[in-house]
Amino acid sequence: MIKLQNVSKSYRVDEDTIFYALKKVSLEIKETEFVSITGPSGSGKSTLMHLIGLLDKPSSGDVIIQGKKISQLSDDELSTLRNEFVGFVFQQFNLIPKLSVLENVLLPTVYARKKLNYDPEAKALELLTKFGLIEKKSSFPNKLSGGQQQRVAVLRALIMEPKLILADEPTGNLDSKSGHDIMKLLGELNRNEKITIVVVTHEADIAAYGKRVIKVKDGQVG
Amino acid sequence: MGYLLFIVRSALEDFKRSKMQTFLTSLGIVIGVFAVIMLMALGLGLKRYISDQFEALGKNTLFVTPGQVLQGGGFGGAASVLGQRFDIKDLTNLSRVKGVVGLAPLSSKSGKAKGTVKTEYISIFFTSADFADIAGLTIDKGRFFDKTDIDKHAKVLVAGPKIAEKLFGSTINALDKRVSVDNVNFTIIGIIKSKGGGGLGGNDYDSYFFGPYTTGFIYDPQKQFIRFAIKTDPNIPLATVKAEINKVMLKRYKDDEFSLLEPTEILSVVNSIFNIMNIVLVAIASISLLVGGIGIMNIMYVTVSDKTREVGVRRALGARKNDILLQFIVESVALSIIGGALGLGLAFLGVLLVQGFFPAYIDVPSMVLALGVSSAIGIVFGVLPARKAANLEPVEAIRYE
Ligand SMILES: Nc1ncnc2c1ncn2[C@@H]1O[C@H](COP(=O)(O)OP(=O)(O)O)[C@@H](O)[C@H]1O
Ligand SMILES: [Mg+2]
Repeated sequence: MIKLQNVSKSYRVDEDTIFYALKKVSLEIKETEFVSITGPSGSGKSTLMHLIGLLDKPSSGDVIIQGKKISQLSDDELSTLRNEFVGFVFQQFNLIPKLSVLENVLLPTVYARKKLNYDPEAKALELLTKFGLIEKKSSFPNKLSGGQQQRVAVLRALIMEPKLILADEPTGNLDSKSGHDIMKLLGELNRNEKITIVVVTHEADIAAYGKRVIKVKDGQVG
Repeated sequence: MGYLLFIVRSALEDFKRSKMQTFLTSLGIVIGVFAVIMLMALGLGLKRYISDQFEALGKNTLFVTPGQVLQGGGFGGAASVLGQRFDIKDLTNLSRVKGVVGLAPLSSKSGKAKGTVKTEYISIFFTSADFADIAGLTIDKGRFFDKTDIDKHAKVLVAGPKIAEKLFGSTINALDKRVSVDNVNFTIIGIIKSKGGGGLGGNDYDSYFFGPYTTGFIYDPQKQFIRFAIKTDPNIPLATVKAEINKVMLKRYKDDEFSLLEPTEILSVVNSIFNIMNIVLVAIASISLLVGGIGIMNIMYVTVSDKTREVGVRRALGARKNDILLQFIVESVALSIIGGALGLGLAFLGVLLVQGFFPAYIDVPSMVLALGVSSAIGIVFGVLPARKAANLEPVEAIRYE
């Protein structure tokens, strides 16, 4: 589904120093996988995830999605792919504070260019009901607990029925119980909905949810 | 929920959170739009008022005034200010011109008038009996003065209704009463119907007294007039009469010592003055709008920087550059339209306040202009911050703390 071939990501630190956040990484994420990416802080996990999620472009090497090199896609085409193909979950939840829970869940559909084969609002309400957040639909994010906010973020990632969900330290700001609840939720989505899941974490017990673990160290995949 | 609705609602929701900040930001626009619309309302009102007055004078009216009044499209005429005057001889000469059917010499006197209720500073127009017809005055009570009064230098006055009420409490009380103006005693023989307007130079006939020009000589031993108003025979072309009058006047005066004016000419001068005035006003107000626009640009840069991470999140969810651009432009347009609407509201209040004594009014084009200009400002000054937001690298924006 997504292939990285010899991908490097580098930043120019000063005149004659270049820092490599990722060095010649090659890997493939296959459909319906549940992958954990682990490694110490600063090892390049988020950088890797941003490349897989089409938010970033490699300094060298190729990111290939559905047989196409992303270097050949326009900014708009990448936006559309992110919209339809990928769902993101972040450590800081990143809900839009001035939008209600329902509106946050609906937000990706606002940016959809294709005709959806379902009614977005009905679908959002259905998801909220299914995951026990329906009473909060008109609340604003700051009225929710961390665990609830992250669940809303997962629903927002689900609304476009993506093939892939990318979660960057999704449990990092949660207490242990809420963290495991979120991981169980992602596991269910992988099992029942056949959604490919990639979770970035530096915690071993969270990484254990993955069926395959990719270890990153100093910008390299071991 | 529709795409645009979502974006507009997002922008407005922001304002609800910080009303004070929204208000202060749009204050420049508020003041700018208020200034433009208020000044335009005053200008329009004055222009309409003056136009109405001259249109009432009709087609066959001419004025003879000292000096060059309509110089280069504006009121020049030092002579009229410097006090050059006409005299009895001119009156006689003009009365002999073929085609002149009405002739009113004008001189004026201001002074303290003592009524039964109040003492007021008043003005008297000393003129002929033809003045009533030329100026379109009609009698409400009593009578206008006539040729006999003029021949006898009769100390009689006709009063405008406003001044009559002021001095005597009511128009009926004023009739046949005595009024003394600078120690000369007059009898009020008539009251005119309210005309509610002014003439050349904004005279409000309702507040004037009118008397025989011969009587006016009491105050003026030199027996002079400040201008003539003339009614011409409608069966003779106006140009012919004008040429004839010109010939007569040239016998005693140089070409640049007098002017012949038609109301339509005066109107076109009034129009051109107002057009110039409007341009100047708009230019001045533009500065205020520019300052307002820069204020909006400033707050929008702050907003973009505050929302960097939000932009990153939206980009991750699939927003295109243009979606982000539109979001911020809508926000800045909303901000400046709020300012424009407040400014317009203030201008409406202002017009209401002055309407008692000034004929200001706001027309539809002014309102369209106010809202059009403020949305244009929102777009123009919102584009740069919005482009900055749209061009953020998604990954940098997401990482932004
Ligand atoms: N824009 C950037 N400029 C310079 N260095 C960066 C930039 N983004 C990330 N890095 C560096 O790349 C390395 C990897 O970062 P990241 O992928 O966020 O690590 P992780 O998520 O594993 O903690 C870090 O050392 C970080 O400082
Ligand atoms: Mg990270």
